[in-house]
Amino acid sequence: MSNVQTAKTNRMSTSGAAQPAWWLVFIRELTDLWVGGKALVLVFIYTVFLGVVTYVIASNSELSLIPPKEMVYETIKNVMAVSLFIGLIIGADSLSGERERNTLESLLLTPSSRRQIVVGKFLAAVTFWPAAFIIAIPTFNILSQGDEIFGQGLFWGGILGTVMVLAYVGLGMLVSFWSNSNKTSYFVSLGIYILFLVPAQLPGTAQTGVMGQFLQWINPIAAVNHFLSKILVNNIKFSEFWTWIEAPVGFALLILGVLFLYAAPGLRLEEGRASKIWARVSRVIGLTLIAGLMALSAASPASALQTGTDPEPLQISITMESKTVKASDSILFDTVVTNNSSETSSTIFMAMNIINLEKAGEPIDPEDWSPQRTQSIESLAPGQSATLSWRVNAILEGDVMIYMVAIPQPDGENVTSHPVASPGIHLTVTPFTKLNPRGVLPIAIGGPIILLVIIYFVNRRRNQNIDMGGSS
Amino acid sequence: MIQRKDTNALSSQRDILVAQDLRKSYGPRRALQGLTFTLKAGRILGFLGPNGAGKTTSIRILTTMMEPESGHFVVDGIGSDHPEQIRGKIGVLPENLGFPRQMTGFEYLVYYGQLYGRTTAEARENALKLLDDVGLHQRGKSLIGSYSHGMRQRIGIARALLNDPVVVFLDEPTLGLDPRGQQELLSLIQRIARERNVGVILCSHALSEIEGICDDVVILNLGQIVARGTVSEVIGRTQRNIVLPNTMRIQVPALLFPQARQILEALPNVMRVTPGGEMEGWLRVELVQPTNGDVAKAHLINNSILSALIRAKIPILNFETEGGRLQDVFLHLTEAIQ
Repeated sequence: MSNVQTAKTNRMSTSGAAQPAWWLVFIRELTDLWVGGKALVLVFIYTVFLGVVTYVIASNSELSLIPPKEMVYETIKNVMAVSLFIGLIIGADSLSGERERNTLESLLLTPSSRRQIVVGKFLAAVTFWPAAFIIAIPTFNILSQGDEIFGQGLFWGGILGTVMVLAYVGLGMLVSFWSNSNKTSYFVSLGIYILFLVPAQLPGTAQTGVMGQFLQWINPIAAVNHFLSKILVNNIKFSEFWTWIEAPVGFALLILGVLFLYAAPGLRLEEGRASKIWARVSRVIGLTLIAGLMALSAASPASALQTGTDPEPLQISITMESKTVKASDSILFDTVVTNNSSETSSTIFMAMNIINLEKAGEPIDPEDWSPQRTQSIESLAPGQSATLSWRVNAILEGDVMIYMVAIPQPDGENVTSHPVASPGIHLTVTPFTKLNPRGVLPIAIGGPIILLVIIYFVNRRRNQNIDMGGSS
Repeated sequence: MIQRKDTNALSSQRDILVAQDLRKSYGPRRALQGLTFTLKAGRILGFLGPNGAGKTTSIRILTTMMEPESGHFVVDGIGSDHPEQIRGKIGVLPENLGFPRQMTGFEYLVYYGQLYGRTTAEARENALKLLDDVGLHQRGKSLIGSYSHGMRQRIGIARALLNDPVVVFLDEPTLGLDPRGQQELLSLIQRIARERNVGVILCSHALSEIEGICDDVVILNLGQIVARGTVSEVIGRTQRNIVLPNTMRIQVPALLFPQARQILEALPNVMRVTPGGEMEGWLRVELVQPTNGDVAKAHLINNSILSALIRAKIPILNFETEGGRLQDVFLHLTEAIQ
């Protein structure tokens, strides 16, 4: 052992660190996660899941008739749902797991700043996402069947997936910050996951109406799904629908802000507890944020529905704006007719009209396309609404516009009424195609096998560098 | 085996840890009520106290893992308002320290060395040296998950020395070790203190351990210091204050036990003689006249008792006075307040 002189000479200053602490923690956590850690296992499970889902889509005769746009959209949704779950799990283990294993103290005893430790752990925790997304690319490619949706899907899926994964890993870490055990941390994280996910899976009818739309808009997962469906499937422009990504982006900024600016500097051995001052400050911040979100919601599509000029005596809204389908597909939608006048209406006839946009608006006979050419409503009291359901079968390829006209029964002879038209549904009908399951099989099986090989070689290389001797 | 530093040498050593009136409460319970003490470089300070006395709270505060409600402390000239700088000056082996099972001992030390600001090359060099110092040079490339408990304690001590600390906190370092492991670790701790001129704070429930290797001792009870000083000072000072019936224990061959008892009971200073323990041959001798803290007189009485047995040609296998060990002091001081 060195003598006193040597010890004094060696005694070092902690200033001028060779590498920043966040980088050291990041590299260490990265190794822990990917070499024999949980990230590889979770990504392997994810790959198997993705392979199975893709194969089921391709081999099931009904599902394989779904247009490529919808297939890619559904797959992006699945990829994101699983990735967010993985992100939460990794984030939820990051701090409480170290507390539980009694390894956090060692880290906190170094002169490294708490924030740098949290940053390093966070960056390592999000590394699974690029891997998960890259693994999904061949699947997107095969499901898109050469459609331009492939590029769009990668772009929007990549951007929104990244935003959501950052938020969810951060959320998991925040839960972990306030938990003393992994059990608590996982349980709370799972609860949050379900809380956000379940409303996003409700059928479309449950997400209509002002409150339904508002809840959908404010729920980051539901909002992202809705945004993606409109952008990828219904060809809506970003400028028309950007308000739907306010909540996901705001959610991510809020989570990351709380994690890095508030929680991280206070990281300690026991689960974090806010001081009284901070509790007050955070309450004020929370209320401000809620107020901010409420203000933002004023710009949301839900509120946009309520604004506008004086309503017509009869108003028709429609639950679909545009859709791309394959020939032989069917679409279902509802129309809601509202009597805005102060008098009870007479009987209202609803007539479906379809015109061919590629042939200068040439009318198409709805008889071939729909079992319901016309429907009627007995009468509507002032303020009363009635919902009618419609089905349209896409018969021919091309670009068509579907719209309804509400025609009130005239009160008598020599008297007329004012028909009112609904917003149109822009329907793009693509040629009939069927996905070949054989083409999907190599991806579905190959992905997990390649990952297993990688896991094997990573572990083998690791084992070569260590002495496997037992304890003495 | 044990070489304590003398009092003259002590005065020339600098204070590397000064704690002033540290206080901490958990709700209505006052865990620490004005902790004040100093530690000098190169000395080992034993930190004693029953469960709930405030030892862990004290260590957590002094290692910057917890903030005191009031009071402050200084480590090597750095005040407690600079916790990050203090962490660069101290080494800690917490009780129940967890280790990453998938790292080798070498990787573990290199990683933490880098977190203390060393370059990769420096950290690797330092890790190799420390593995050698703690006797783990041959197991540096093994996974920590494969280490025995003793080896983990050693790697924990190496980790505590990574930054060449001026103060090292060791919380129950020998807990769970076999006697040989305990002895080896205590020798290692002594070497660290002496050769590195490091101040060591050793928390332990093993009083013989503290008595064996510590220069100074602080005894805590209910968040307060009840005794402080060198080990011999604390024992001596407390002995004088302990109002014990002057009692001693003598071990004689089991066959001669009745004879020895008869001789002792006949002596004028002896009030009562009883079997003195679970092991055969021990006699507990209570004296008639309490010495009231007069140590010299007590020793003379002890001599006369032993002389009586020697004169009767009864071999004395073992002998000890009650109240003369750190354990007695500890029990007396901690019971007194409770």
